[in-house]
Amino acid sequence: MFVEVAPPGLPAPASPPDAGAGTPARHIARGFGRGIVPYLYLAPALGMLVVWTYRPLAETVNYSFYSWNLSPTSPAKPVGWHNYHRVFTLPDVSGSVWRTVLMIALLLPFTIVIPVVVGLLTREVRGRAKTVYQALIFAPFLVAPVASAAVWEWMLTPGSGVVDRATGLKTNWLHERIPALLSITGIVGWQMLGFAVLVVSAGLASINGDYAEAASVDGASRWQATRWLTLPLLSPTLVFLLLTTVLLAGTWTFPLIDTLTQGGPVSSTTNIYYLLWQYGFKNFDAGLAAAAGVVFFLVFTLVALFLVWLSDRLAFHDN
Amino acid sequence: MALAIESPLADERPTAALASGAAASGDGDDVPGGRSRVMTVVGHVTLALLGLACIFPIYWMYSTSLRRPDDVYKTSVLPWPLSVDSYSKALDELDLGRLLLNTTLVALLTALGQLLTSVLAAYAFAVWNFPAKRLLYLAFVGTWLVPFQVTMLPNYVLLHDLGLLNSLTGVIVPNLVSALGVLMLRQHFDSFPRELLEAARIDGRSSWSTLWTVVVPNLRAPLAALAILLFVNAWNEYFWPAMVLQRGNLVLQLGINSFINSVETEEWGPLTAAAGLATLPIFALYLALQRQVINGFVRSGLK
Repeated sequence: MFVEVAPPGLPAPASPPDAGAGTPARHIARGFGRGIVPYLYLAPALGMLVVWTYRPLAETVNYSFYSWNLSPTSPAKPVGWHNYHRVFTLPDVSGSVWRTVLMIALLLPFTIVIPVVVGLLTREVRGRAKTVYQALIFAPFLVAPVASAAVWEWMLTPGSGVVDRATGLKTNWLHERIPALLSITGIVGWQMLGFAVLVVSAGLASINGDYAEAASVDGASRWQATRWLTLPLLSPTLVFLLLTTVLLAGTWTFPLIDTLTQGGPVSSTTNIYYLLWQYGFKNFDAGLAAAAGVVFFLVFTLVALFLVWLSDRLAFHDN
Repeated sequence: MALAIESPLADERPTAALASGAAASGDGDDVPGGRSRVMTVVGHVTLALLGLACIFPIYWMYSTSLRRPDDVYKTSVLPWPLSVDSYSKALDELDLGRLLLNTTLVALLTALGQLLTSVLAAYAFAVWNFPAKRLLYLAFVGTWLVPFQVTMLPNYVLLHDLGLLNSLTGVIVPNLVSALGVLMLRQHFDSFPRELLEAARIDGRSSWSTLWTVVVPNLRAPLAALAILLFVNAWNEYFWPAMVLQRGNLVLQLGINSFINSVETEEWGPLTAAAGLATLPIFALYLALQRQVINGFVRSGLK
């Protein structure tokens, strides 16, 4: 997955773009040969990128102006902007957009709120014990989504599953609209929590303790130091987690939706990614799937650029 | 985004941890009541509760799979008496040996291929300056903005034209590059001591032999962490195999999926047994190499 899992969330451009631009690198480079040599090293990775990411992206843009059912025998018909018109008017699409936003919002407690609270409460815990706790908390992240779907389907079985038994409820978790949405996000949250806890804990560990000490010498209470020092210093980490959640929510939820609810009941767990899949491989409406894909790609790019910009703005706090 | 903070895990920096630990306990002595001791207890309780909550579904998966078929609906915490009936049933219904073999093959080849292309690309970025370097680097970063679902149709058509649908090759080949790998390794290659590269050059080594005899042997730890991360990702991958293999059951994730959907009466024992077996290799890796696994994932997240 983590080409799905832990994307650096585009921090890269900020890292020195021409690291080693000084003389030594050039010097070494000259000895190692110049001109075509670096491109030869890059060729395999770049070639794969072009063939499997950027070529299809361009083709998707192209498909979006055609009506085509994916069958090699039937020709694609040019339809102009019609597919885009459908994207913006189909109720399915707007419904799934809202459900995607809702899913992301419901994931944030797991990827940001709980990890920060836990991180702040557990700064004093160190050593062997902490390693053991971390091992336990991180374990769900390694469970394949399909395996976790299997165990949660069992735990959420109406009446006999351990969740209903423990809570005394009779909820049919995966077959009622709101419980199904909550279940899917809850399961994804359970898997992502460990990752986020460790990221926050690493972020906290990287904050220089001198600041807090100086604050406490100045008479700041623990809460004041947390509110005015630690959280602002932690904000780049938090923006990173937000970016990760926004960009990857669709990828994380997909296998669970496909295994447990197939988007139902009554589309209540169909987010935009699952909708794209349905348009493409269930309805064989390649043009519509492509147009929707292009629109979502653009929207997510804007959101990501905004968050990267935000993170850069926040980052200057910590020198 | 300047998450360029060098942020290893807390316990990875014993000196810093010790230093701040000493400072904290010093404070505790000064302030009567020792606030930090209370915080330590709160911290232990919080982490213990969270750890138990996180591990419980995994525990429940294995404990259900080990109950006798008649006991599956019991809620006793310990699955006693133990029974492997569920496992033999799961093995009857799923060709687990073949699935394990296929999945191992796919995950191993994918991870190795990604590692190789990442090493070569990161080396190019770290050692040379060349026209369009920044743009090409952005091309790698930009892949995170292109979700799978946006490129799936053209890729599906290409795989069809190449005759790779329904084959393991079709699962592996399109995944032979990992932007994450390139980005992670570039960080390490950039900080590789220039003097060593220089010395190799003066020795008259080619860039190729320098890469394999000087750079790679000295970066075994980050390469191992990355390799594990890539292997786990490939092992757990669902979307791409589902598309390429048309839900034929050639790899574990798809096999379990069809098992979930085919079981008519609710056979939770065999189902949890199959899920447990599919997860077991990853957990074995995790138990053996916990630190590397966590570092691989969390560091990649921070960079």
